[in-house]
Amino acid sequence: MKHLILASCPDLSFWIIIYRKIVDPAKREILVLGTWFLELRTWRLGFVSCILVLATTVVYAQVDIYGYFEPQFSGMYYDSAFYQVNYNKLRIDLKSTAVKNIEFGANAIYLLYFGKKDWDILDFLPEHIVSTIPSEMYPYYQLTFKDTLFLDNAYARMNIRRLALTVGKQQLSMGTGYFSNPTDVFNTKDALDPTYEQPGHNAIRLDLYIGNRMNLMGLYTPIASDWENSGKLVRAKIGIGHFDFSILGNEMQYTTTDFYTFELTQQRRRIIGADIVGELLGLGIWAEGAYSFLEENDDDFYEFIVGTDYTFESGLYTMLEYHRNSLGKSDYTEYNLNDWMRFFTGETKTISQDQVYGFIQYPLTDLISIGSSIIVSVSDKSVAFVPTINYSLFENVDLMLIGNFYVGDEGKTFSSSLGNGGFFRATVYF
Amino acid sequence: MFNYLDIYIKKIPFCLPTRTRTLDFTIKSENQVKFAEDKMMKKIDISTIAYICGIMMLIVASNLYAQDLTAHEIINTMTETMNPDQSQGKMKMTIVTTSGQERTFEYETFSKNQGEKSLMKYVKPTRVKDQAILMLNNADDIWVYFPRTKRVRKLATHAKKQKVEGSDFSYEDMGASNTFIDEYNTVRHSDEKKEGRQCYKLELTRKSESSASYSRIVMWVDKEYMVPLVIDYYHEDDPKLWEKQLVCSDIQLIDGIYTPMKIVMYNKLDNTQTGMEIIEVTYQVDLPDDLFTEQGMQK
Repeated sequence: MKHLILASCPDLSFWIIIYRKIVDPAKREILVLGTWFLELRTWRLGFVSCILVLATTVVYAQVDIYGYFEPQFSGMYYDSAFYQVNYNKLRIDLKSTAVKNIEFGANAIYLLYFGKKDWDILDFLPEHIVSTIPSEMYPYYQLTFKDTLFLDNAYARMNIRRLALTVGKQQLSMGTGYFSNPTDVFNTKDALDPTYEQPGHNAIRLDLYIGNRMNLMGLYTPIASDWENSGKLVRAKIGIGHFDFSILGNEMQYTTTDFYTFELTQQRRRIIGADIVGELLGLGIWAEGAYSFLEENDDDFYEFIVGTDYTFESGLYTMLEYHRNSLGKSDYTEYNLNDWMRFFTGETKTISQDQVYGFIQYPLTDLISIGSSIIVSVSDKSVAFVPTINYSLFENVDLMLIGNFYVGDEGKTFSSSLGNGGFFRATVYF
Repeated sequence: MFNYLDIYIKKIPFCLPTRTRTLDFTIKSENQVKFAEDKMMKKIDISTIAYICGIMMLIVASNLYAQDLTAHEIINTMTETMNPDQSQGKMKMTIVTTSGQERTFEYETFSKNQGEKSLMKYVKPTRVKDQAILMLNNADDIWVYFPRTKRVRKLATHAKKQKVEGSDFSYEDMGASNTFIDEYNTVRHSDEKKEGRQCYKLELTRKSESSASYSRIVMWVDKEYMVPLVIDYYHEDDPKLWEKQLVCSDIQLIDGIYTPMKIVMYNKLDNTQTGMEIIEVTYQVDLPDDLFTEQGMQK
């Protein structure tokens, strides 16, 4: 169910924003999961961006406008009842290369929800955990999906010979993993739909391409009010033979929430990470790992992923990944409220320590492909089956059907009591 | 035969004006002019005779040469013709699906080092706009750039078997420039007429150590243009199972290189077809190396 809800809400940071910004820990003021001020901010940004774009259009008349419309219908059986939460999403992209060597790009997203928009997260937590929460805190765990408009990306990218400078809200993606990326400190993938687009991040990025297969990247993310606590990242990438290697170092301030009290803790972390992708004995292979050094205590942790894939002559594509997150727990009876909520909000990538992801896909016809993901939470012995069907209805229309079926006892990552269901998504590009 | 003759004839006119020009510079007086004219007449006579003899000898030699062309020489010459040093163009790919629908893609292509490096950037439709595929080392290394997530993903060589955007072309079909030479043993059969033209018929059998996607290939190479007119591809596991057929047509001379402007791949197993049409192409370009990098994919 957690995944279903998150899949219904494509901007994953939406959840995080709700918990980190709407709930004020000092005043204990319950702002029942409204996003009105978030909307105010995004409306302002949207308005300003529209003016900028219109001005650009008038001046240069060389702006490409494109995007997609995406209705999604999600349904689930939970507690002997059927629920649905749906959205209509409109994304409009603007891109201009009117100025030589400079690219301007932006996109705005409008999300309109319908169906069951009010949810109580406590309904999906194990009874023994809910019983630990004081009843006066219950309203904190309400979730309401509200219609929203936001500027997801807005950046300028300048290419000067072997240098590329990108400034603004932009897509940032790191790592070679498919289901999860330990080195990606900016995004948390939804394992049910790992290739879906991620939200943009404010950053200044500098890429220096030294050789044909070597580049250095420096990244500054102003997430705090000062330089010291803002994010800094450097990455070196090199290609040797059939392999690409990269190493990175990152320093950033993280916010950890205590979901019993809704107190926020700021914490500086230093991360070193590396990844590799290539081929061995005809198999595609990749690995990615990160070690996090925490400044204030000794609870350092690490995360890594290794994977392999192969395509058979018939077109059958197969993939297998193993993922360890030392921050996760090996005994599911020790999962507490913070573990669940941090997992839900993306503060931690997994709740259990070891996961295995499997994926197969077969092109049934030239227009239809079928497949399935199997996500095994090894630590607590629960499994999620995620069958998928993709159908290319027309040249610019894709249909996607995803199911989720959980097999696990109460309290486990993929407990069958979390509800089973799926979603249908149509994407119409223009 | 004709293409070698054609190449020779192209070279002849460059010889004559050069000689005439040399004479012009040396003329200084009437006597000298007369002497020069006589000398020139003699030279022209000699040149003309030599020219005619040369052509005759060339025709004879070409005929002999053509007859003696080995399978290896034909496949080498064809590969050279089909893979110019550098190229830049715009292509239109039309897929006819099993349901009879047509899907049209437009993309820009860039290639260097006789196809050893190649880059494709989709222009249309919007679903794949700005998506780019970079192939290096004759498609042994493939990267795909997804603009919506700004992610570059490296694919292993097994991905060469995957269809490009659901078309009847695999990455291997699109990218490998010297596959026919490196991955197959070639045998020449008796010449045949194909598509109304005289062709060399070649049969290629996959080398035992090769992992190429087709066990056997039969092709008909136009004798004049030295481009393949028809290529039959046979299944990876069954050399008798006819899997695909490629037909090239509308061959035009562009920048001195014979270029099939239209290519159709018929999938005999799925009963689908994909057509490719060159909208524009030039071979007289100097593409920078940094185009064939991650940066180049994102530009």
